[in-house]
Amino acid sequence: MTAWQKDFGRKAPLLLAPALGLLALFVVWPLIRAAWWSVSDADLLAPDRAHFTGWTNYSDLLGDPRFRRAFFNTALFAVLIVPLQTVGALFLALWVNRPEPAWRWLRVVFFLPVVVSLPVLAVVWSLLYQPEQAGQTGLVNAALGLFGIEGQAWLRDPQLALPALVAMSIWQGVGLQMMVFLAGLQSVPRDQLEAAQLDGASAWQRLVHVVLPSLRNTTVFVVTVTTILSFRLFVQPYLMTRGGPDDHTLSLVEYIYEMTFLNLELGRACAAALLFLIWVGFLTLLQRLFFREIKA
Amino acid sequence: MSAGKTGKTGAAWIVSGIVGVVFLAPLLWTLLGSFREEAAIFQLDWRSLSNADTWTLSNYADAWRRAALGPALLVSAAQVAIIVAGGLFVNSLAAFAFARLRFRGSGALFAGVVILIILPVEVIAVPMFFTARDLGMTGGFGPALAGLTLPFMAKAFNVYFLRQHFLTVPVQLEEAAVIDGAGVWRQFWNVALPSIKPALATVVVIDVLTHWGDFLWPLLIATREETRTVQIGLANLFTQPPVQWGDILACAVMATLPVLLLFRWLQRYIVTTQVQAGIK
Amino acid sequence: MGLLLNLFFPRAPGLCLWIAIFCTGVNFAQAGTTIRVWSHQGQESENRAMREIATAFNEAHREQAWAVELTFFPDFQYTEKLAVAAAARDLPDAFDLDGPLVARFAEVGLLKTLEDDFTAAELDDFLPTIRAQGTIGGHLYALGSFDSALVLYYDREMLARAGVQAPEAGGGWTWDEFLAACEKLKAAGIEPVGLHMNESADEWFTYAFSPVVWSGGGQLIDADSWRVAGVLAGEKNVRSLTQWQALFSRGFAATDPVEPDPFGLGKVAMDWSGHWMARSHLAAKGGKLGVMPLPILEKPSAACGSWCWAVSARTTQRDVARAWLHWVTGRSTGVGPLVRANGAVPARRSAFADFPEYSHPPYALFRAQLETFARPRPRTPVYATLTQRFAAALRDISRGADVAARLKKAEDEVQRVIDRRRPRTSVLEAEGAR
Repeated sequence: MTAWQKDFGRKAPLLLAPALGLLALFVVWPLIRAAWWSVSDADLLAPDRAHFTGWTNYSDLLGDPRFRRAFFNTALFAVLIVPLQTVGALFLALWVNRPEPAWRWLRVVFFLPVVVSLPVLAVVWSLLYQPEQAGQTGLVNAALGLFGIEGQAWLRDPQLALPALVAMSIWQGVGLQMMVFLAGLQSVPRDQLEAAQLDGASAWQRLVHVVLPSLRNTTVFVVTVTTILSFRLFVQPYLMTRGGPDDHTLSLVEYIYEMTFLNLELGRACAAALLFLIWVGFLTLLQRLFFREIKA
Repeated sequence: MSAGKTGKTGAAWIVSGIVGVVFLAPLLWTLLGSFREEAAIFQLDWRSLSNADTWTLSNYADAWRRAALGPALLVSAAQVAIIVAGGLFVNSLAAFAFARLRFRGSGALFAGVVILIILPVEVIAVPMFFTARDLGMTGGFGPALAGLTLPFMAKAFNVYFLRQHFLTVPVQLEEAAVIDGAGVWRQFWNVALPSIKPALATVVVIDVLTHWGDFLWPLLIATREETRTVQIGLANLFTQPPVQWGDILACAVMATLPVLLLFRWLQRYIVTTQVQAGIK
Repeated sequence: MGLLLNLFFPRAPGLCLWIAIFCTGVNFAQAGTTIRVWSHQGQESENRAMREIATAFNEAHREQAWAVELTFFPDFQYTEKLAVAAAARDLPDAFDLDGPLVARFAEVGLLKTLEDDFTAAELDDFLPTIRAQGTIGGHLYALGSFDSALVLYYDREMLARAGVQAPEAGGGWTWDEFLAACEKLKAAGIEPVGLHMNESADEWFTYAFSPVVWSGGGQLIDADSWRVAGVLAGEKNVRSLTQWQALFSRGFAATDPVEPDPFGLGKVAMDWSGHWMARSHLAAKGGKLGVMPLPILEKPSAACGSWCWAVSARTTQRDVARAWLHWVTGRSTGVGPLVRANGAVPARRSAFADFPEYSHPPYALFRAQLETFARPRPRTPVYATLTQRFAAALRDISRGADVAARLKKAEDEVQRVIDRRRPRTSVLEAEGAR
C-alpha cells in the first residue's frame, strides 16, 4: 500500500488547498488584522488613523466590570446548557430510537425548533415570556398557571433572565444533538447487546454497560461542540433582553458587537475578540485533554 | 393478541401526540398568531378563538409586501445553495485529506482548524468586511453574491464533523477500490463520499440553518436592495412603523417553510438504520 | 453527483432562473454623474415619497445629466451599516442619519460642512431645532427635512369618565397634577397611561424620557466639558426619575405592554408618544382626542430631532450632492412630499403654509414646542454609548431598581468610555484636504 500512500501524500495538499485557502483568506487573515487593531486605539469610523497603544486595550478589558460580567454570564450559560442539553439529547435519542412510527414522528417534532431560524425564535419567545400585563399574559406564564405556579417576569428578573434564555436555547438545540446521538446509536454493536440480553441483563444495565461506552466518541464530540457553540451566544440576548436586566444576560459576543458597532471602539473590540478566542481555545484544549484522560 | 398490540400502538400515539403538541406549543402559537388580527393575537380564550372576526389572512399579504419576501427568498435560497454546494465540495475534500493523511504537523494543522470553529461572524465581522471589500465583493449583485457566499464555504466545523465520519469508514472499502485501480480522486468520489451520506445531509441542514438565519453579514455586504435576504426583510418588520406582531409572525412562518421542506426532503438521508452496511 | 445536479438543474427552468437572477444585477452604464444616496427604510408611505423625490430630482436635472441612485436599508442596523462603510472609506455621497449621531461622524471629519451651500435666508427658514441638531462645534453638518414632536395625547371621554379635568387649550399639567389624574383614572378602572416600554430600540427611552430629566432642571451630560460625572446621576436627576418611577410602582403604566398601540385600541387613557401617531389617533378618536405638553417638574421641556441629511466629506461630486441636499430639504420638492407621507413636522417655516392642519391641535402644539422649549438630545460623540446605558438604566428603574444607584452605575460606565477616548483630529485635516 505504500505506493497508494505516496500518491495520496502528493495529492493531499491539493485536497486541502481549497478549504484551507478560503479559511486562511476569510478567517485567519481577518484575525491577523484584528490582532493588529487590538494593540491600537483604532476608531471604527477611521481605522487608518490608529495609534499603537500596546497592551492598553487588554489591561483595560480585564479591568472593565462589564467585560468581566459578560465573561461570567457566558461561562454560566455554558455550564448550564452543556450538561442539560447533552443529557436531554441522549435521553430523547434513546426514546425515539424505536421502529414504531409513533416514535419516529417524534424525531421530527424534536428537530423542528432547530429548523426555525434563531432570530425568529428569539422574537417569538420574547412574546411567550411576557409577564401578566393588563389582563394578557404570554404562553409560558399561562401554561405555568395551569399548574398553579405563579407567573414571573422572566426576561425582566435579573435572576431569572439567564435561566430563561438557557431553557429556550435547550428547547431550540436539543433536537440537533439528538440526531447526532441517534446516528451514533445506529452503530452500537448488536452482538454485544444480544449477548447481554441473553445473560439476563436489565435494560438499565444494557444501557450503562453496552450502549453508553459505544457512544463515547459521539458524546465527546457533542460535549465539545456544544461547549464551543454555547460561547457564541449572541442572538438571544441581543434580540430578547439587550444584555439586561442590569447586564445579567450580557454575553461575550454581544459585548464585542457593542464595542464594535455602538462605541465604535474597534481596537478594544478586537482585543476582546482575541481574548475570546484565546479563552475558548484554551477551554477546548482542556476538554480534549480531559477526555483523553478518561479514554485511557 | 392483536388487540393488545393495537392498544400499545394506540397508547404510543397518544403519548407522542401529547408530547409533540407540548413541545411544539411555541411554534403552534406562532402559526396560530399569524392568522389572527392584531388585537387578538394574545387572546387564547375560547370566545376569542371562535370569533370569526379575529381571523385574517392579511398578515401574510402585508408581511410579503413589507419584507419584500419574493426577491428575498430567492436571494436567501441562492446564497444558501451556493454555500452548501461549494462547502460540500471544499470541506469534504479537506476532511478526507485529514482523515487519511499522515504527515508531520497534520495533527497541529487540524487542531488549528478546529480552533477556528470558535469564531462567530460577529466577532470578526469588521476585518472580514475589509477583506471582502479588498476583493471587490461589495457593490453589484454578482460581487455581493460572492461576498455572501465565499467567506462561508469553508467551515472549520464541517471539516471537523466530516473528518470524524470519514474516520469511521473502514479503510478496507478504499483498499478494495485501490486494488481495482482507483486513484485518490476515485476513492474519494466513488467510495468514501457516498459512505457518509447521512453526515453530508446533516452538514447541508446545518449550513442551511446557519445561513438562512444570518442577519448581520448580509446587511454589511448588501449595498443594493436586490441583495436583501429573508432576515433583512424580517428585521424591517421589527423597526418599520407600524410594528405589527401579526406581520412578524406571518413573516416568520413564511421564512421557515422553505427550510422545513428541505429538511423533509433530506430527512431520509440523515437517519439510516445501517450506516455501515456492506462491510461484514 | 446526481444529488448535486438535481439540486441545481432540475430542469431547464431552473437554469433559466439562475441566468435571470444574474442578469438583474447587470448594470447598464449611464453617461453623466450619478451619486449614491442612502436612506433608512421608514414607513412604507415615506419610502414611496422618497423614491418619488429621487425620481423627480433625476427628471429635473436631466439637462446636467445629474442623477441620484437611492438605496434603502432597514432601520434595524442602519448605523452599523454606515459605520462599516465609513471604516472602509466607502460612505455614499449623501445619506441620512439620526440627528444625535451627527456629532460622532463630524468629529472624525466624515461630513462636509454645509454653511456655504445655503444662503443665510434659506438657513433662517429652517426651524431652530433643525439647525441646532446639525450644528457641531459651530459648523453645520446636517439638515433635516422634518422634525419630531413628543407630546401627551389623551382621550377626553375617558378623562371625563374618571372625573379628571383636562387642561385648557395650550396648557399642560404639573407632574403632581399628572400623577393625581392617573390616580383618579386608576380608581375608575381605566389604565392611565401608555409609555411604550416594549420598544425594542434603545433610542425611544432616551428620546422620550430625557424631557423628564430636563424638566427637572438636570442634564444627561455637561454641555461644556462633555463629561457625565456628577451630572447624569446628580441629585436633580435622581429626584426627577424617582417621580417617573412612581408611574410604574403605583401601577399607572405597564412595564411590559404587549401591544405597540394600546391608546389607539382604547386600552389606555393617555399616550406618551409623538407626531407619528397623530394621524392614526385622530382617525381612531376623532373629536375625543386631546393633546398637551409633557408634565412639568420645574420647567416645560420637550424632545425633538429626527433623521437629517449629510454629505460625505470625501464625495467627489459636491455640486450634485449640494443640489440633492437642496432638493430633499426644499419646501415643495422634499419637505412637502415627505411630511404628507409621514406626518412629521416640516423643517422649514415656509412649508407650514402648505399644511393647514398646523393651525389647530394637535399639530399646532408640535410647532409651538419646536419654536420654544424643545431641545435636541446631547450632541456628544459618545452619544451612542450614553443612550444605550441611559436606556438600560431607565428599563431597570421602571422595574423597581434603586434610582440613585442605577443612575450612578450608568454614569460610571459612560464616564469610563469618555475617559478612554483620545481627542480626535479631523481625518481631513490630517489628509491636508482643506
